[in-house]
Amino acid sequence: MAIDEETSRGFLREMLRIRAFEDEIKTRFQEGEIPGFVHLDYGHEGTHVGMSQAMRDDDWLAVGGARLVGQYVAKGVPLGEVMAELYGKRGGSNKGYGGQMHVSDVDRKLYGHAATIGSGQNPAVGLAFAEEMKGTDNVAVTTIGDGGTSRGSFHTALVFASYWDLPVVFVIENNQWAISTPSSALSPDNLSDYGIPHKMPNESIDGSDVERVYETVSEAIERARNGEGPSVVESRVARLGPHFEGDKQTYRDETEFEEERALKDPVENYRERLLADGVVTEEELDDMLEAIHEEVQEAVEFARDSPDPDPETAYENVYRTPLYGQGEGS
Amino acid sequence: MTREITYIEAIAEALGEELERDDDVVLFGEDVEEFGGNFGETAGLHERFGSDRVRNTPLSEIGIAGMALGAAVGGIRPVAELQFADFAATAGDEVFNQIPKQPYVSGGRLSAPLTIFAPSGAGIGAGAQHSQSVHSWIGNVPGWVVVTATTPYDAKGLLKSSIRDDNPVFFLPHKMLSETKGEVPDEEYTLPLGESAVEREGEDVTVVATQVMFHRAKEAAADLDLDVELVNPRTFAPLDTDTIAESVEKTGHLVVVDETVERYGTQGYIANEIVENNFFSLDGPPKTIGVKDVPIPVSPVLEQEVLPSVERIKAGIESVF
Repeated sequence: MAIDEETSRGFLREMLRIRAFEDEIKTRFQEGEIPGFVHLDYGHEGTHVGMSQAMRDDDWLAVGGARLVGQYVAKGVPLGEVMAELYGKRGGSNKGYGGQMHVSDVDRKLYGHAATIGSGQNPAVGLAFAEEMKGTDNVAVTTIGDGGTSRGSFHTALVFASYWDLPVVFVIENNQWAISTPSSALSPDNLSDYGIPHKMPNESIDGSDVERVYETVSEAIERARNGEGPSVVESRVARLGPHFEGDKQTYRDETEFEEERALKDPVENYRERLLADGVVTEEELDDMLEAIHEEVQEAVEFARDSPDPDPETAYENVYRTPLYGQGEGS
Repeated sequence: MTREITYIEAIAEALGEELERDDDVVLFGEDVEEFGGNFGETAGLHERFGSDRVRNTPLSEIGIAGMALGAAVGGIRPVAELQFADFAATAGDEVFNQIPKQPYVSGGRLSAPLTIFAPSGAGIGAGAQHSQSVHSWIGNVPGWVVVTATTPYDAKGLLKSSIRDDNPVFFLPHKMLSETKGEVPDEEYTLPLGESAVEREGEDVTVVATQVMFHRAKEAAADLDLDVELVNPRTFAPLDTDTIAESVEKTGHLVVVDETVERYGTQGYIANEIVENNFFSLDGPPKTIGVKDVPIPVSPVLEQEVLPSVERIKAGIESVF
């Protein structure tokens, strides 16, 4: 699959956007502006961008794993809405009800994450089922981390998707760590092997290579769109940061970690590659970064300026009312 | 015009009518096709609506419930059948964490108009893992509309409303009532969700009960020299306490009978609502009656021992005077 230069520049821009946005989130969190905890996507930018660029706007993304923000960005949610949601503000994508784990945007066909890791895959199968029932050729792409593949719910989703041959692409973003448990201790050679008993096309790829991800996921989506059923893709990446900000990572070997940072940074590698190939120039990159920086700062300002939710709104959205038939008498 | 049909026939009619009425309604679960469902509730539907609309699933409640959630968010109206209400636990994360919370955490951006259909209750010797009444489990998680059915009339009208409601609804028929008969209108009808019904008017005491316990309470009332008002909540969550409070205002006495266990059961919640908000309507302490705090045993003798009997209900009603 040939990737033209404009597409390549688009890939790089999206990866740089995620990186710059998350650097800012890290700083805002350290400054105490963001409540709770944050998980950042360092090392996952290539897999997020490659996957989402392979999708059409009307394909569902059911996000999973613990690396989420980059996926929201890649699916097109404006940075300001994501940032305000991290701040728990009214201008957030979910008006402060969801936080970093639950950004949902039905209009953009982004399904909110199941924060109990691994419980989002069956809903993704349901989304694909709904599209099929409605007679569209839209597909559902769903992500999960290496840790989540140990949940029975993930395997059930494979059973159901395969039982009805539904248009689902399961992307396993294997960053080698379920917090402190290494994926190398799991039995399969590749986590995509979990597709084998279901006779699903399955492939394990270097997920730090955005083009490779784009190509592989595009093929899987094409099969799904053509009625050829579900696929499993293992996208192997390096986790270039802690599980959450504040995790001291005492379980990781420092030398190996430094090596990975030097070798497996998808953003840095792609930037150098496009520069070397003359696809972008330093000047173009500077312009790109300046525009991104401006967008990120605007997102922060939007989040800061956004009002806190009215406390009374805590009681809204539990039920859609009136319930059926209420007030009509019996 | 009405006719007399069984409770399970009423359910099958409701499913058939809603599948007919709305192309977005899809029914799936284990053995809902030719087998016709464990209690006959889906008999004939597969033949009538085909394999797209009425679908057998592999054996996994996680898949059934989780897929229903996604399908509902994706714009169709699934009726997802669990063969027994106890299996809500085998889809625990979907039932307790995902379905009722996704609309809320999305800030109202997602809606999940699905119905989980799950036969509940004890009395057929099905043992500890096939006989529970789970409306206190489910009602404990805000976001679920929890509906029970007491008569064929209720079963049909409430199931149709559950399918049409835009919230996730947990619909709980009682398996012991499957063959009971009752009057059901010939014409199409629905019943409102979230509204209690006063089924029998009385002046002396308010008895709140649904499902089998309602029928036992009715029997108990007929045996007593008291004018009993019977209230059927129909929907446990959200609960219409106004109707119960009005009744207690009239009678001054409250007895709540339910098939959930007494420890943290629905009885305690209903009684507490009245004590806290309508204390001065009461002429004496309310009485709660439920399943004794043990798992449901298999032996018919043991099973009937732990369920509220007509005698226990009678004694409970008398005890508030």
